[in-house]
Amino acid sequence: MTEEPDFYEILGVAQNASLDDIKRAYRVLAKQYHPDAQEAPAGTSMLFRQVQEAYDALSDGQRRAAYDRRLGLAGLNLDALFSLNVQLSRSILPVMPEEQILYALFEVKAAKATSKAQRLPLNLCLAIDRSTSMQGARLDQVKAAAHQLIDSLLDGDALAVVAFSDRADVVWPSQTVSDTGRAKSRVTGIQAGGGTEILQGLKLGLDELEHHRRLQSVNHLILLTDGQTYGDEEKCVELALEAKRRSVGISAMGIGEDWNDQLLDAIASRSGGSSHYIASAADVQAIMNERLKTLAAVYGDELRLTPRLGENTRIRAVFRLTPYIQRLEMDGDSLLLGTLQADGTIAVLLEMVVGQQAPGVRRLAQLELTGNVPALERRSERVQRNLSATFTTEPPPEQAVPPHLLNALAKVTIYQMQESAWSSLEKGDVAAATQRLETMATRLLDMGEHQLARAALLEAGRLARSGHLSPSGQKTIKYGTRGLSLAAMKDQKS
Amino acid sequence: MIECPSCGRQHRPGTLFCSECGVYLLTGGPLRTEPLPESELPTARADPWAGSGGAQTAETEQATLTVVMSATGRRVALPPGGEAVLGRLDATRGVFPDVDLTPDGGLEGGVSRRHARVHQQKSQFFIEDLGSANGTFLNGQRLTPYLPHPLRDGDEVQLGRVRLRINVH
Repeated sequence: MTEEPDFYEILGVAQNASLDDIKRAYRVLAKQYHPDAQEAPAGTSMLFRQVQEAYDALSDGQRRAAYDRRLGLAGLNLDALFSLNVQLSRSILPVMPEEQILYALFEVKAAKATSKAQRLPLNLCLAIDRSTSMQGARLDQVKAAAHQLIDSLLDGDALAVVAFSDRADVVWPSQTVSDTGRAKSRVTGIQAGGGTEILQGLKLGLDELEHHRRLQSVNHLILLTDGQTYGDEEKCVELALEAKRRSVGISAMGIGEDWNDQLLDAIASRSGGSSHYIASAADVQAIMNERLKTLAAVYGDELRLTPRLGENTRIRAVFRLTPYIQRLEMDGDSLLLGTLQADGTIAVLLEMVVGQQAPGVRRLAQLELTGNVPALERRSERVQRNLSATFTTEPPPEQAVPPHLLNALAKVTIYQMQESAWSSLEKGDVAAATQRLETMATRLLDMGEHQLARAALLEAGRLARSGHLSPSGQKTIKYGTRGLSLAAMKDQKS
Repeated sequence: MIECPSCGRQHRPGTLFCSECGVYLLTGGPLRTEPLPESELPTARADPWAGSGGAQTAETEQATLTVVMSATGRRVALPPGGEAVLGRLDATRGVFPDVDLTPDGGLEGGVSRRHARVHQQKSQFFIEDLGSANGTFLNGQRLTPYLPHPLRDGDEVQLGRVRLRINVH
């Protein structure tokens, strides 16, 4: 590694800070550390020299570019497989005894281009709910989607299909599909009947995946269901954790409106996969197709973010913003981020509570990202970034919050309002839940999200009249608000 | 602690949005769209059915519309698909108009965040005021909000005080 001093950290600014940010930080620090400053403690002249040196290097465009190149920030760092970017809601904070809130937007991208030729082999298992309620259009559409999936597999991809009701059967044992006709006719032969026990399907599906599970492949289970499972919810979640240990992701797809969204979300997030709401059977193919494309474009997997917090700093909440808004819980001392697509970004918003700090630049946290890049046969890659901010006893200068961060936070706020509406309702407080939905609708209208606003108003009205929500309305709002982050730039049209 | 101006809930300093009502806590006066004095704006009302013959519009469905900002000369072509919201970008409220007039003096000129909408039906383009604070004017006449008016090549549109010219080709 380089012996360069970290000028960015000395000034407490982000590595993509603008010249204005740099000037502002310098002015604040220069006042504090200047040897002539009244309250300057002994020994600050050394600090002042460092600040001056950092400012001289970073305020001159050419020198900064040269410095960035030496640091490897301009993408020349041949070792880094992930590129990280962190933005803070403000970089200069007042010194105060009170706790303050600081938001950090953390983004990960692939630092190396992987060509299409490097597409990893897929090791997939479809676990299809064939309970009685699936009979008719739902099962037909699922079969059509399975056929389409079989056709889009490449040489070397392995597929298994299991069908489950209150028991599970292997429809097509895990194998590289050469005889696509036979595989399809097996799928066509699935008959509906029986109850829904998701655990059965998950168990058998994971067993099938074991046959072709390799580190250099994308191991994934796609669960399709339209119903509630009874009594085995906890075991399903445990199994999802086991799947994660085996590097198997689970995509949980709920069709219609009677399925248990909390369970499917839990299964997906525990395994580092994703959950999807399929309102109408006709959408199954499109959503499956989309999912398959995403899986085929995996660049990194088992990505984890470990925050190491400095003194008097804690994390209040973490939200993943891509592909949809999702609350992340600590898993041990780290956060599971799952897989990164070659052309994708993983964005995470951290809400931190910062207690009293001494004046000067303070490191609030170190964020460490670890992950594998299977196509390049690299495992447990590590990249780190420091989160530092400047604390000043004077009123901090005006600082514009990065628009990207603000926009993300606006959406997360709506998502949280939706969460608290449901939790009020669970506590039996219908009036509060109604009011929260109405307030949320107002904010959605502000954003130009007319459809979602209408859905929220409709449910608020229903709630006020009957004390109940419609299952489809609740799912529309939940999956609509979490999808706000996706539609960030072009949702003015409704 | 800081207090939400809308619902009164207390938050730690540095909080950006009220968790209770979703309001942006730092929104002060300067970013609001200030109503302009009536004297500075035209008063005539436009008739949406006048001049809708469409004789000057291109007959093909491939017609494209370009908005030219009179003050800066900046040109923005309407994205294909024929619909665009003109307004003022406000990331904090999640408002991202297709055509952001901030660089053309949108804030001082009294442009609302979501000011007007331009859309295309077959070969004809229409403009519609979205209930803006200071109004949308077509060739000097004020549009009735939410009522689409046909647009022709060379029309002059004014959003608040900001002038634009319409090119259809």
